Amino acid sequence: MKAYTIHSYILHSYQKRMGEREMNEKKRQKYYAKGMTVVMAAVMLLSACSGNDGGNSTVPAKTNSSDTNEGVTVGNSGVAEPLGKYDPPIEVTTVRSLSDVVENNVLGVLKDETLEDNRWSRVYEEQLGIKIKYNWVVKGSDNSDQYLQKMNVTLASGDLPDIIPVNAIQLKQLADSDQIEDMTELYEKYASPLTKDILSQEGKSPFDAATFSGKLMAIPQVDPSIERSMFIWIRTDWLDKLGLQPPKTISDVLSISKAFTENDPDGNGQKDTYGLGMTKGLWGGAMGLEGFMAGYKAYPNIWIENESGQLEFGSIQPEVKKALQVIQDMVKQGQIDKEFGTKDGGKVAEQIASSKIGMEYGEQWNSIWPLQLSKDNNKNASWRAFPIVSENGETPKVPQKFSTTKFIAVRKGAEHPEAVIKLFNMHVEKNWGETAEFDKYYAPKEAESVWQLSPVTPAPPKKNLEAFRQIDAARKAGDMSTLKGEAKTIQEKIDLYNSGSEEGFAVWGWERIYGPEGSMGITDQYDKNNQFLLDKFVSAPTPTMVERKSTLEKMQNEVFIKIILGQPIEEFDKFVADWKKLGGDQITQEVNDWYASNK
Amino acid sequence: MMSARTWRELPFHLMIIPGLLFIVVFSYIPMAGITIAFQKFIPAKGLFGQQKWVGWDNFSYVLELPSFGQVLWNTLYISSFKLVLGLLVPIIFAILLNELKNEIIKRSIQTTIYLPYFLSWVVLGGILIDLLSPSGGIVNSLLKSLSIEPIFFLGDNKWFPATLIVSDIWKNFGYGTIVFLAAITSIDPGLYEAATIDGANRWKKAWHITLPGMRMIIVLLSVLSLGQLLNAGFDQVFNLYSPQVYESGDILDTFVYRIGLLDAQYGVATAVGFFKSIVSLVLISGSYFLAYRFAKYRIF
Amino acid sequence: MSGNSTKSASSVMYRSPGTGKRFDWFAVANATFLIVVAILCVLPLLHIIALSFSSSAAASAGYVKLWPVDFTLASYDFTAGREGFWRSMLISLERIAIGTPLNLLLTILVAYPLSKETQHFRFRLVYAWIFFVTMLFNGGLIPWYVTIKQLGLLDSIWALVLPGAVPVFSIVLLLNFFREVPKELEESAIIDGAGQWTTLWRIYVPISKPAIATLALFSMVEHWNSWFDGLILMGDPVHYPLQSYIQTIVIQMNFGSMSRDELMNLALISDRTLKASQIFLGSLPIIATYPFLQKYFVKGIVLGSVKG
Repeated sequence: MKAYTIHSYILHSYQKRMGEREMNEKKRQKYYAKGMTVVMAAVMLLSACSGNDGGNSTVPAKTNSSDTNEGVTVGNSGVAEPLGKYDPPIEVTTVRSLSDVVENNVLGVLKDETLEDNRWSRVYEEQLGIKIKYNWVVKGSDNSDQYLQKMNVTLASGDLPDIIPVNAIQLKQLADSDQIEDMTELYEKYASPLTKDILSQEGKSPFDAATFSGKLMAIPQVDPSIERSMFIWIRTDWLDKLGLQPPKTISDVLSISKAFTENDPDGNGQKDTYGLGMTKGLWGGAMGLEGFMAGYKAYPNIWIENESGQLEFGSIQPEVKKALQVIQDMVKQGQIDKEFGTKDGGKVAEQIASSKIGMEYGEQWNSIWPLQLSKDNNKNASWRAFPIVSENGETPKVPQKFSTTKFIAVRKGAEHPEAVIKLFNMHVEKNWGETAEFDKYYAPKEAESVWQLSPVTPAPPKKNLEAFRQIDAARKAGDMSTLKGEAKTIQEKIDLYNSGSEEGFAVWGWERIYGPEGSMGITDQYDKNNQFLLDKFVSAPTPTMVERKSTLEKMQNEVFIKIILGQPIEEFDKFVADWKKLGGDQITQEVNDWYASNK
Repeated sequence: MMSARTWRELPFHLMIIPGLLFIVVFSYIPMAGITIAFQKFIPAKGLFGQQKWVGWDNFSYVLELPSFGQVLWNTLYISSFKLVLGLLVPIIFAILLNELKNEIIKRSIQTTIYLPYFLSWVVLGGILIDLLSPSGGIVNSLLKSLSIEPIFFLGDNKWFPATLIVSDIWKNFGYGTIVFLAAITSIDPGLYEAATIDGANRWKKAWHITLPGMRMIIVLLSVLSLGQLLNAGFDQVFNLYSPQVYESGDILDTFVYRIGLLDAQYGVATAVGFFKSIVSLVLISGSYFLAYRFAKYRIF
Repeated sequence: MSGNSTKSASSVMYRSPGTGKRFDWFAVANATFLIVVAILCVLPLLHIIALSFSSSAAASAGYVKLWPVDFTLASYDFTAGREGFWRSMLISLERIAIGTPLNLLLTILVAYPLSKETQHFRFRLVYAWIFFVTMLFNGGLIPWYVTIKQLGLLDSIWALVLPGAVPVFSIVLLLNFFREVPKELEESAIIDGAGQWTTLWRIYVPISKPAIATLALFSMVEHWNSWFDGLILMGDPVHYPLQSYIQTIVIQMNFGSMSRDELMNLALISDRTLKASQIFLGSLPIIATYPFLQKYFVKGIVLGSVKG
């Protein structure tokens, strides 16, 4: 079944850019965390010496009654610390999905680790005294049908685990039916400084999305919006072959596209190449249109603020109409595959792999997939990311959809509601904290996605950007030895590629992200130039959204594709009118109500 | 005190009881859940929790959605063709196969034609997209060699339903053929011998012996398929369609799936399911009585 | 020209007993047509097989058609080493070993009484409708799941076998086959003093071998192919049947609706050759079953028993 997620149209309230100030701030936090660790250790030592814990009733005899917030006050000083250990150990139940990557690339490789017993579960047990028990595991991703269905039947059968990972809609339902714990105080008290720092780097919005009636009902698994930045990925060997320069304006992009289509860049004497790749889904992290449209100041699918401070939906703005017209022309001239409407990402990836497409708009990781595929089939293929461009060459805004879609809630009446926060703490500590062992817990060479073994996976939203900055700094200083943690691991990959070995060939993609010409460098640039344009609606879906959003989305994509394939551009106006009539106006009203009350 | 008749019928009751038990437990008890169709059902509240009763609201919601009419029409159109062809093709094949003398060829063909059934639409979808592509696909290359314009099978509203129907038949006919072959094998060979003596050729035999011998199964499968009239094949359509062909290819199930039912509208999904069940019931009861009235044939 | 004798291919070509020595055009055309269709049916599977033996790069560029490109056993190597794959295959086999006999038993037991005339069995129609209605109405996923859960069947092989134990479609099919059995057989059995039970097992079942074999095949295929129940009803992936195991995360790569993690994962797992090898290996056992069952599709049993 389709991997489908209810993308709540989430508005994002203004996120403050931190820049350098943040780096200093982080340093300060690190010292603070270090100090705290010492204090914690001392306290733990004391409590261990003083014999068994006081009111820390971890005895399983306590039944599943509907306790209220007893958990907050329970526990002696040792346990009450962010990284305090439970002694005797406690058991918390949760559920999770098991992706192919973990199944094949991680568990398939690590012979003595299973989903129940692996380096992460061991860390949690040994250092926190928390045993994790999975009530169920479903093969698939967090957004797959089966996970969604399984979660729904679990909710419906009243069989909630202690720790419940849910999406925005399920969260709202749980909050409304009073099934989950209020985490506001617990978070305050138990989140370590590092955790708090990391989770707040996206600003308030992830927490806003999890807040109902002023109460924080779940810990958001903050996903960086910054990673949704778009770039123009172009076949540089084709640019060279045709004597073209990287684009500075949209018209450059159009000329490149035309040249790629007509001037036989793959040199096989046939007119079988396309200028721009796109999929039938129209949007997304690879071969999508958002970056292109942003060049025309068109920002579909997100909510943007207009001059009067009201929020409007990007897809119905006149700029989108203009962008669609341009794309329509491109299709007419054969620069875009006429059959794109039936091709999903996999199929378009095939075209990229067989050197039929020379340019696509995508996120920073595209070089790893699908672009690597073209290199696998043609050693001379080369791609590079370029910043998106606008019509007149001025710095364009880079639109970013709100990305936090997973929330970790705690069942009401759970014995140790704070336990999940400690898991968060330990996870960030072991990967990016003082005692971090990045190579072991995050991405060891042989099994890169080891971090997915943990049931919760918070990560510093800017970690990729940070890593890049560290690498870049080291590169400029000519001294790579100062790198550690994630930056070091990445640099090793870059070195491997540069060594020209066959093994290195497979990691070309990383060099294209973090190398001197890398996409992350451009993100850095976007950041410094303050180019990010964030989605401004960041709450659970409004009532009309719940009822109408999918219908409206379907209509939108259908009309857009029809226009792109040749229908008169006036269809767009009709679409806007229909959109408003069929619920769009209602939704806009609700969104603005929310916005006004949350400013 | 049991009457003699009841005593005689007792074995029948006893035979049925195990099956009945299973049915009651696994089908009838969950059936009570149809009430969800009348509620604004929220999974988080629990199956037995306080769900809001909304009466027919879920039904009217679906009926009033834009393009519902189009979707319903698509479903009926596609489904009817699949139904009719889905019976005709296996019947013809069964008869043709039956004519084969060589057992080895016959057996191998029997085995190969049911292979497509085992491949999922996910896999077949990808294959079909390549095969039917207007620019590179084999089918269109063939058409080109016959001087016919390329046809965008999967992207043209004029052709999409036909593509769905034909590919579905191709995937499933092998399986249906098996049933009909089984029916043919139970025909008394003596009838064929007698017909040969009377000088009948193969066509006469097929018409007068084979087909009548299959009649029961044909009627049966027709009636049962009628019950599926509103299931135009979610898996297939889902993997083959795209926004370009929503107009002709969107069926009830894909439509319902897309309006986010998984998360938020269980009540609506159940309502649609209930609606489909009622329609099936009406169709099947109708044909049951028709078959009885006109062909003296009881389907069950 | 009997349609039932087993003459060799050559005799078809050169001699048709009923009409003399005319060349049998039809038989040739028929055979050709059927063979062509059969080939068309095999092609997709050949494509999958070719993919599974090709290199990952070639597969992802769409270069593989019907023959492997850059032949390699890598995907089989990997799949063979995946313990979960083989374990899930065993579970599917277990499921069939328990489920299919159960299906057949219940089908036969229910179809027989229902095939009788109402005059012999007064409540026939009532029972028939009771069973039939379940084919039409159901309460949906949640009630079904909750029922199974309350019975304590979750995460066990019984959850895969018991809920579907009564295949009503098969019952309807079989009862119709039973009705076709000549009445003389039943009557002679009763005269000999046989009860209903004996009649059923000694007469009706042996005669209905083709039908029962068909239903057995249906049952096996159904069990083998189902993946959704495995995913929903099993808590631990070690209990997954085969198709549940093979289910992959991304079926359609629709980037707009995928989370960032999924997108990142794509980079690591988009190996079509791996999927192809799993699909092929996963279909092999069941495809191989039909040829074995074909021996049950034998004619002439009816004739034999009446004469005897």
